Formats: sequence, C-alpha cells, structure tokens
Amino acid sequence: MAIKRRTVITAATLALPAIRGASAQAAKTITFGGSIPLSGGAAETGLNVNNGYKTAVQFINEQGGVEIGGTRYKLDLKLFDDASDPSRAVNLIQRQLDDGVDFFLGSFGSNIVLPTAAVTERAEKPMVQAGGGSDQIFGQGYKYVFGMFPRATRQFRSTAAFIKTLMPPVQNYSVIFTNDAFSKTAAQGVMAAMKDQGIPMLESYSFPETITDASSVLASIRAKTPEALVCMTHDQDNLLIAKQMIATGTNVNLLFQGLGPQLGSFRETLGKSANGIYFQTYWDERAPLKDRFFGTPKDFAAYYRKNNSRPIAYHVSAGAACIVTYIEAMMAAKSIDPVKVRDALATIDVNTQYARIKFTEQGDGDPVIMGPWVGQVVGGAPEVIAPANAKTASYTYPTPPWSQRS
Amino acid sequence: MLALQTIADGLVLGGLYALSAVGFSLIFGVMGVVNLSHGALVMVGAYLAWFFWHALGLDPLVTIPVVMLCLGAFGYVYQRGLIQLAVDRSSHVASMLVTFGVALMLRNTLVLVFSPDLRSITPSYSGHPLLLGGIVIDPVRLAALGASLVLLGALALILNRSRMGRVIRATAQQELAARLCGVNAHHVYGLTFAVAAAFAGAAGAILGIVLPFSPPDEGLWTMNAFVVVTLGGVGSPQGALLGGLLLGVMATGTSQLIGPAFPNAMMFAVLVAMLLIRPSGLLGNAFAGSR
Repeated sequence: MAIKRRTVITAATLALPAIRGASAQAAKTITFGGSIPLSGGAAETGLNVNNGYKTAVQFINEQGGVEIGGTRYKLDLKLFDDASDPSRAVNLIQRQLDDGVDFFLGSFGSNIVLPTAAVTERAEKPMVQAGGGSDQIFGQGYKYVFGMFPRATRQFRSTAAFIKTLMPPVQNYSVIFTNDAFSKTAAQGVMAAMKDQGIPMLESYSFPETITDASSVLASIRAKTPEALVCMTHDQDNLLIAKQMIATGTNVNLLFQGLGPQLGSFRETLGKSANGIYFQTYWDERAPLKDRFFGTPKDFAAYYRKNNSRPIAYHVSAGAACIVTYIEAMMAAKSIDPVKVRDALATIDVNTQYARIKFTEQGDGDPVIMGPWVGQVVGGAPEVIAPANAKTASYTYPTPPWSQRS
Repeated sequence: MLALQTIADGLVLGGLYALSAVGFSLIFGVMGVVNLSHGALVMVGAYLAWFFWHALGLDPLVTIPVVMLCLGAFGYVYQRGLIQLAVDRSSHVASMLVTFGVALMLRNTLVLVFSPDLRSITPSYSGHPLLLGGIVIDPVRLAALGASLVLLGALALILNRSRMGRVIRATAQQELAARLCGVNAHHVYGLTFAVAAAFAGAAGAILGIVLPFSPPDEGLWTMNAFVVVTLGGVGSPQGALLGGLLLGVMATGTSQLIGPAFPNAMMFAVLVAMLLIRPSGLLGNAFAGSR
C-alpha cells in the first residue's frame, strides 16, 4: 500500500505531543543554580570550585543520574560568571530565583557568598557552598545556608593546638590580615585560638583589601622578630608577602599562610623557598575516606584528572562534595522539595570523598569533624603533617632561613 | 634605622609607580585623553615578559625592548583605529569610554589566554638581599628602580632632545600651529600613544619581577597612575617621577607610622588635597603654557 505524504504529516502531527511528553519524562532534571567567579580577583580559586561542581555533575550523569523518591533524575548546572563582583552575583541569583531555580551552589569568597546567601535565604531556597567561611555568613540566623568549612574564627583551632606541641616551644607570634569579611574574622580566630593555647601575640598588622607592598611591615617584623608569623590573607597577598620576605631576608621560625601554598602556581613561583611554609588544608587525596558515588579521594582525583588539565586542589573536592551532599540530602528526604531538602541538610551526617559532612546549627562545617588539617610544603609538594591519622610527611621546625632551604 | 629603611623602601616602590604612570601622564598631557586602559596595557606587558621568561627563559630586563616594541605597535594601531575615531566623531569623553571598554576586553582576553591564575617572574638574582649600612634592599626592586630611572631618563631625552619629541610637544601645545607647519597631528598622536603604551609595557615587565600579578590588577595600576599624575603633574617624565617617588614614600611612611591599613586612605586624602590646592600637580602641566 502506498503511503501518502499527507498521511505521514497527519500521523507525525498527532504523535508530536506524545513524543514531547515522553522526552519530558525521560529528561527529569534537578537544576543547581548560582554564580561563580570565572574572571576577576577571585577567579583562580573560583575556577577550582567550579570544576568541582562540574566534575560531580558530569560523573553522576555518566552513571545514569540519581534515584530520589522512586524517580530518576539527571543533574544540570546553571552557573554564571559573577566576575568576582558581589552586586553582579546578587543580580544573577535573583534572576535565577525568578526563573524558578530551587537549589543553589555558592560562589567563591565570603564577600560574594554573604550577600547572595541573604537573597536565597529570603526566598527559602537552600545554598550549599564551598567558598565562604566568614562568621558573618553563619551569624545571621540563616536556616538555608550550609558551608563546607567551619566558620573563619574556628578554622585555626587545630593549627594552634599543633603549634603548642612544637619543640622548642613557640614563645610568641605576629599576625597579618586584610580588611575583608574572611581575613579579618579568620585573624580574630587566630588570636582567640593562640590565646587559648597561651601563646602571646607580639603585633597584628591590618592591611587594606589588596596588598601591593609589605616592605614596611616586614621591616617591623625584622625589628621585633616574632617566632611565628601567621598570614590570614588571600593567595596573591601571601605570595607577595613570601616573595618580599625572601627578598629582604626576613626569617621566622614558622611561617603560616592560610591560603596559597596549596596551589601549584604558588609553590612553583617560590621554588625551593616554598619548602617549610605551613598552611592548612581540608583534603588530601591519600585520606582514608569514601563516598557512595566516587569512592575514595584517590578515585575522585583520578576521574578529575582524566577530564581536566587544571591541577586539583582542595576547593575542587569541596565543590564536588557540595553536589554529593545535596544528593545525599535529597535521597534522605526522598524528595526534591526545597524545604524538605533543607531539613535533611540540617541533620545530614554522611561520608564523602572530601570529608565526613556534618553541619552545625548555624550551617557551617562542624569544627571537629570538618576542621582543617595542618600542612607543610615538603620537597615542593603540599603534605599533611597533623593530625597523626592523616599525616603524610614529617614536619620541619624551626624552618631553616630562606637562604638555606633546599 | 627603621626610618631610613622606610624611606629606602618608599623610594624603590616609588620608582615603580613613576614608570607605571608615565605613559598615562603623556597621553593625558598631549592628547587630553584619560586612558582607562593604561593598567591593562601594563598587565599585557607583564604577561608578555612572563611568557618570554617562562617559555624561553629570557630575563624580563632583557626582553623589555621586545615588550616595548609589541606594545608600541599595538598602541599606535589602538590610537589610530579607535581613540582618534572616538575623538573625531564625538568627544574626549567618548574616547574615555572607549578606553574603558578596551580595558575590559584586554582583561578578559588575558584571562582567556593565560587563565586567571596568579603569575610571577622569579629571576635568578632574586632572593639575595643586599645589606647597605644596616638597610636591607631587595636587589630585584633595586634593579627595577634602576630600569625605571633609565627608561624615564630616556623618555625625557626623547621628548626634549629628539625631533619626534619636539613634534610631540609642539602638537600638544598648539595643534593648529603644528598642522600649519606641516605636522600630521593624527600621526603624532598615534606616535605619542605608541610611546606611552611601550612605557606601560616596560612597566609591566618590571612589575612582573617585583609583584605577583593577575589580570584584575589592571584597575589598580590605572588608579595608581591617576594619583601619581595628580601629585606630580601632567605630561612630563619629571612629574611622573616626582609623583611616583612621593607616593611610594607616602605609602611606606603611612604604613610604618600610622598602620598598614592606611596608605590608601592617605593616598586619596592627598589626592583630594592636591585637586583643591594645586590641581595641575607639583610640577604643573608640561604643555599648559600656551593652552
């Protein structure tokens, strides 16, 4: 029987709604919205967080998605470049709320996370983030905001306890910070933690948000000679301080830099001088952890490296953990209703390749369970030196002068 | 001794500020254009120097001529192709907006090409501090200051002693008269922009040795140039040198005496004071006499 062209067109027209319905059913997705700094001052770490988000979504989708409450979902990311600009980030988040996005991931930098969290909180949509640790984020009474790090004032406790164990004992210290939401509160945390350990402070140095020259502060440090120098400043500032310390022969027994030494570019720039710098880290691919999606941190790192040329950093792992934590909460809630997911996030206690995830009542990471490890650059690589159960290398203290490092 | 150290640190820092601002000063003085892409040109220079150092192992001080040549050529095309068009068809305000747009494009191009990651140039002679009578000097910064002084001196010679310099000064002072004498003013403006861009590139190469950098830093260097020019005066290397050295000593002095949080506040307080008391800067506008 010959099939007329009109018959084919009619059949296709009748079948179209059914085809559309079927494809809509097959393509059920959970969309995660948010902004991320892919350009501007925070872009270096912003890219790492973004790669973590993307890696988790890609991996889970490759496994066929996730089943939540009997329905299978694929994951989708709707992240836009906020150019490290808080006001731009707020506009982007508001637009996504207007578009009906229910779940948000955080940007990088407390100065961006803080205003965007206020917007998502007001809309009663959860935000899980790996980019903001300022106490201001977790001190507002927010119910829908969760962070992968303890609040800034709690981040130095484990490091201060470690410093207390060093021999010969550290007699005093000085601290450098910049005048921004994270750095300032982190420095307050350093002062409180060191006070608890009975280590007196010699001087605190407050810089504007961006440091372009630290020569006068370093002259003061050479004159007062603290045994430990704690820099709670950002990557670029820490690199500048370290470079100027090397160039002016400013030596201390212990140099701690919260951000920077974890990055390959930082260590490459300083070369052998980077050896001995202390830092803190939240993740190491040799850590004895496991999650239901990726397996061990080593498995996660291998998958990441297979799909990315950019070096892995702990922010990548933390970003991926945001997605995994969301999925775990949705599975526990058996729902993708934002309020139910929020309730599940508030009580979650689950292992991931990043860390065991458990939030405080205020939404930041539990300081004991999710607190940082102490690290030191050894042989050009970042190593964990404390606590003992995560240790990957022995530490050096006092650190040799810059000119004698090898 | 701490006071001497602070002054020495300030002078070394000031040399960098001076070199990074001289191009901005020249364009503003000769063409009346506020070049908001100046910091971006400095950053392009830094990235070019980093590329030569990273890929070919060439010292940034050696590659300065190549960087200047690249930026100079770019500057000429940029001025003739964009800025002159904006000035001819609209106004100097339009040209300022054009430079702002170009700054954004250059910044994002650098992010695309080099990534937003921090870069820094570490030559072999870095990390060996010099001790001069109890004062610690970073040899890299000293080399940078030396290079800045040599380049600023060369620019002063070009502007004051060469034919090109005379033509630039003549066009800046009386464009119409210069045209009547047969000067191609558009070509001269292009050349001025090329010289300014070349010096911005040289400043970038030197800054790359001293400071870690990433594309967003361009805004900072445009702002610094603006303050230096306001302090020292428009249009001359001498004005930029004076403004830069003053700014450097002021930054380290404020940091030492009041606190490291206050150099920016002091810088803007002085900026406001200068605009109220002596708007043309300490050395005045080099080309203002016949305007």
